[in-house]
Formats: sequence, structure tokens, C-alpha cells
Amino acid sequence: MSDRQLADWRIHALNLESEVNKVVVGQKNPIRLITTSIFARGHVLLEGDVGVGKTTLLRAFTRGIGGGYQRIEGTIDLMPNDLVYHTYLGEDGKPHVSPGPLLMSGENLSVFFFNEINRARPQVHSLLLRVMAERSLSAFNTEHYFPHMIVFADRNQVEKEETFEIPSAARDRFMMEIPIVVPNDDAIMEALVFDTKFHNVDALVDTVKPDVLQFDQLNSFSSVLQNSVEASDTLKKYALNLWKATKAPLDYGVKVSGVDMNRLVLSGASPRGMSMMLRAARVNAWMNERTAVLPEDIHAVFHSTVAHRLVFSPIYEMRRTEIAREMLAGIVNAVAAP
Amino acid sequence: MLVSLLPQTALAIDSQNLPDVREGIVTIKTIDPVKLVGYTVGDVIEREVILTIKAPYALIETSLPITGYEKRYKGQVIGIELKNVSHTKEVNDDSATFDIKLAYQVFTNNVVAKNAALGPEYLNLINTKNSKDLVKYRIPSLDIAISPIAIFGQVKIENNMSDFRGPMLLSDLKEKKRLKVAIAFLAISLLGLLYILGMRAWLPRMGGAFAKAYRALRRLPNTSEGLKSAISKVHESLNATAAMSVFGTNLDEFLVRKPNFVPMKAEIEQFFSLSRHVYFEPNASHNIGSDPLNWLRSFTRRCRDCERGLTPEITAMNTVAQKTGV
Repeated sequence: MSDRQLADWRIHALNLESEVNKVVVGQKNPIRLITTSIFARGHVLLEGDVGVGKTTLLRAFTRGIGGGYQRIEGTIDLMPNDLVYHTYLGEDGKPHVSPGPLLMSGENLSVFFFNEINRARPQVHSLLLRVMAERSLSAFNTEHYFPHMIVFADRNQVEKEETFEIPSAARDRFMMEIPIVVPNDDAIMEALVFDTKFHNVDALVDTVKPDVLQFDQLNSFSSVLQNSVEASDTLKKYALNLWKATKAPLDYGVKVSGVDMNRLVLSGASPRGMSMMLRAARVNAWMNERTAVLPEDIHAVFHSTVAHRLVFSPIYEMRRTEIAREMLAGIVNAVAAP
Repeated sequence: MLVSLLPQTALAIDSQNLPDVREGIVTIKTIDPVKLVGYTVGDVIEREVILTIKAPYALIETSLPITGYEKRYKGQVIGIELKNVSHTKEVNDDSATFDIKLAYQVFTNNVVAKNAALGPEYLNLINTKNSKDLVKYRIPSLDIAISPIAIFGQVKIENNMSDFRGPMLLSDLKEKKRLKVAIAFLAISLLGLLYILGMRAWLPRMGGAFAKAYRALRRLPNTSEGLKSAISKVHESLNATAAMSVFGTNLDEFLVRKPNFVPMKAEIEQFFSLSRHVYFEPNASHNIGSDPLNWLRSFTRRCRDCERGLTPEITAMNTVAQKTGV
């Protein structure tokens, strides 16, 4: 039964990928990673320049997943209660309170899309931390649950003015941080500029087949998936070595050019981070019709699940992206399996 | 005619009683031995005397010294004998030149060094215009020293500077033995150093990662543990060759770095499928056949060939595949 279920869901997953690939071109790898994250039940943080299609990508996925979809824009004056409720004067002249984006869809909330998360204040990040970790919220003397919710957030790495850096504790709640870059294929670039279908984002997103996945079954299926895909002792040892290498890269002979490796890493990947990495690797193995995790499955998700969790010495934070990329590539090259 | 009669006449003449030849009639040149000391019994000493006798005087050749004649001094035999005498003559109008070669032999010795002399020798000359004018010419003697064969009396042998004894020799057996040991040690050290510098291989091409792995694989038992160990060693060899961890996903990068292995691409992929089956996913299939260890040995040998810059034999692989039922 479970084998059939796995195969059926794999078809759904590939359909979802296919649908999103139709509207967001040249982003096959990010799309695969987001699909992986959805089935691993992890939150996703997209990082990239302005206008590269982050929002379109997330909206396309949201349509495919189905369920309640809520969105909020990060601004400097956004307060935590703006996520929970609205107050307004009604037509009757009396004050009214209506549910905010988090509460509006109730338990059916499947995607909470936080646009430009780094423009929001730390108080908002703090609220989001709890919602992401516990999928619950206390409001109006009631505990609200969002069992199917996945947070999609994006942030602009280039602009620094009027932004608040997301603290490492908040970053750690995201299963993946996925970089979105402009595709370097000339044909795709030309299509993005000249093909009129890409000019109207709303119409473009509407072309995605809705409800490809059954959002309220994703949790239970995810459990089946995680229990079905094996991880051998050799794989566990390999993952453990990768984890150790993120804490002490120099012990594994990993070096980054122009960086004092003794001072670089303040904190490696967290246990939660490694657990999420393995969850994502299992999903990757399942997507590739494997019954067990291979090192290649870990490689497929290693950078996106680990890079944003590393805490570097402040002097290296400005070069975070390139240093993390080089260091993690060095770790993959240095740690052998078996 | 007169000269031809001279020898008979001279026989009766005692040279010692004749007057000396006038100065200027005879000029002499001698070629004496360089060594004048250190002679002993049996030594032969050669001396050459070149006489130029002006006319009208002529040498009475019978007055030349006779071989075997025992030289005496004050009636005592001195132990120097003329062993050989020869001469050549060159006659000119106003002079005659005689080249006389004398060879003396020593027949004496003493417990201490003693003086001796070669000669003197007396030659008789005759005036060819006045047969009664007979004179003598004395070839001067040459002083030499006769050395004893051995030092007389009790002497400390180390102080004996006699060149007949030869230098004292010290025993060098101990030093030679030490030298041999040192050379042996040095040779072993050099061999050890070569072995270490050669990446623990006796021949330059034995130190490659796959060469070592192939040797290791040949010793592994054909068990599941042996197979695991073999796969691990091949992984190590791949990683060492690429200077990074090689997986199925970065195989192309490995082949770019090590183009020698390009002909092995399909087999390396097969190897990864075997590794995946053994180490990660027992349910995964591989197309290696029923004797994967044997396949691995052959695979490693072919990788070793690639490592050495050789082109692996495709047919060899096919043969193994057939044997292992692939």
C-alpha cells in the first residue's frame, strides 16, 4: 500500500514541479528544492535580487498546493498584531476586529507568504518564530493551530537600508534558504523580456493548475515518506561527518580563500538543521525513485539546508554567501563516503 | 801497425809505475748513478765514462779493466767486482773518443754502513809518434756506501727507518668491518628513503592509488566483508586520484580533472551502482554479476592502467563480465 502511495504522490509532486516550471522558467533547481521542502514539511526562505521572480515562484507553488493562502508584506512599521487581526471602523460606525492573515484561513492555512521578511521588525520575526516552530498562535484567549502551514518568505539581500537582519535563531527555523538568480541562458532571458505571457504575473500564475496536491494530506504522507526511505549506517556516519565538518572545517582540511578558518565559524549546523537536512534528503531520494538515501541526495539539499544556519564571525558576515558556498563545497569534496 | 802491436807491449807494463798523462791530453766525462748509498750484496752499479784522448796519444785497449778482477785496498779484497765492461770508440784525426760502460757488482756487506768505491781504474796511453812514451790516466773513483741488510743489534722495530724493511702496517680489519657495516646501514637507509619517497612502492609506478588498491584487493577474501573493504578501497583510490570525494554526481568533474579515466566512465558508474547496493541501498540493483569482488579486481587493475597513462583493454573487461555472468 505504502509503495503505491509513494508512487502516486511522486506523480503528484512531479506534476506540481512541471506546472511551476511552465510559469517560472530557468529555475529548475530552486523548484526542485521547494518541492522537496513542501514534502519534507519545511519552511522556505528565498533569497535573491529584486525582480528575479521570487514572488511569482512562491505564488505559483501556493496555487499548486491548494488550501488557504495568506500573504503579508514586510514593512518597517509592521507590528506583530498586524499578522493576527485588523481593527477598523465599519459602515455602522462602530469599531470592528477581523482576523489578520494568520488567522483568516484557520486550520486550512497551507501557505503563509511573507514578502520581504527582512523589512519587518524583530518583534514580527519573534512572532513568526513561534508560528513556524509550533504551528500555533495564542490570540483572543484561544489557541489557534495551523497544522498544514508552510511559511514561504523572501528577502532582498542587496538592499540593507530600513531592513533588519534575520537572526540566526529565526533563520534556523527555515528548512531551506534557496538562492534565486537570473538564468544565464540567453533564450530564457530573451523570453522573460519579450514573451508577453511573462508580463502579467497574475495571469501567469493563474495558468498553474490549482490544487495539484491535497494540502491536508501532506503531513500524513510526509510521515509515510520519511519512514519509508532508509538511511544506512554508512549514510548516517557520512551525515555525521558532514555535520562535524560544518563545526570544525579545518579538521577536515577545508579552507576558504582569504579566510582565517580558525576564526570563521562561530557555530556550525544545528541538530535541528541536520535533522531537516536528512528529511529533505529523504524526500530527494523518494523523488528520484530510491528507497534509501544516498550521499548524492544529501548533496542535492546540503547547501540549501545548511548554509543559512552557519554562524560566521562578524567580520566575515558581509561575504557570507560566497564564503558559505565555498566552505560547503569544500566540505562535500573533503568528506568521503564510505 | 804500431798500435796493433801495442797490446802485446802493454801487457808487460805496470800501469802504476807509468807517469801520468799530461794535463789537457785527456778529457773525461762520467755519467754516475744517482743513488750513491744503500747498496748491498748483489747490487749492480753502472757507470759510464766518456774519454776524449787527443793525438798523438792513443789508448792501449788492453789496459781497460778486466771483468772478474777483485778490487783490493791495502791488500784486502773490498768486495766490489767489475761485472761487465764494454766500450765503443770513435776516432777522429786529432782525437779519439771512448765510451766505456762499467758495471760493478757488490759482494760485501757489513753490520753497519761502510764506505766503498768504484775504481779507480788506470788506463795506459801511448804516444803514437814515440812508442817509448807510455803514460797512465786514472779514472777517478766513485765513492758509494754499502748498507747493512739489517740493523745491527737490538733496536726498536718502529724506529727502524730502513727502506728495506718497509713501512709498519697497522691492522685495518676493525675499520674495514666498521666501514662495511656503515655502508650496509647507509644502503639500507637509502633504500628505505627511496621506498618512502616513492610513496611506499619499490618501483616508480607502483605508488599510485589504484596500484596500491589492486594489490590490496588481491589479498581480500571473497566474503561480504571483503567486498565492503574492497569497495571502500576503490572509493579511497578514486578520492585520492581526484584529490576530492568522488560521487556519482561529480563523476564528470573527476573525468575532466583526470582525462585518463574517460574510457572507464561506464565502469565507474557500474562501480557506483555496486557501492550504492552494498553500502546504502540493498534493494538497488547493479549489473555487476555474481562475483563482484572479482569484477572489482579487474576494474581496479584497469583503473591502475589508466593511472599509468595506459589505455585499458576493453576486451579484458568483457571477458571478466562474461565470467562473472554480467
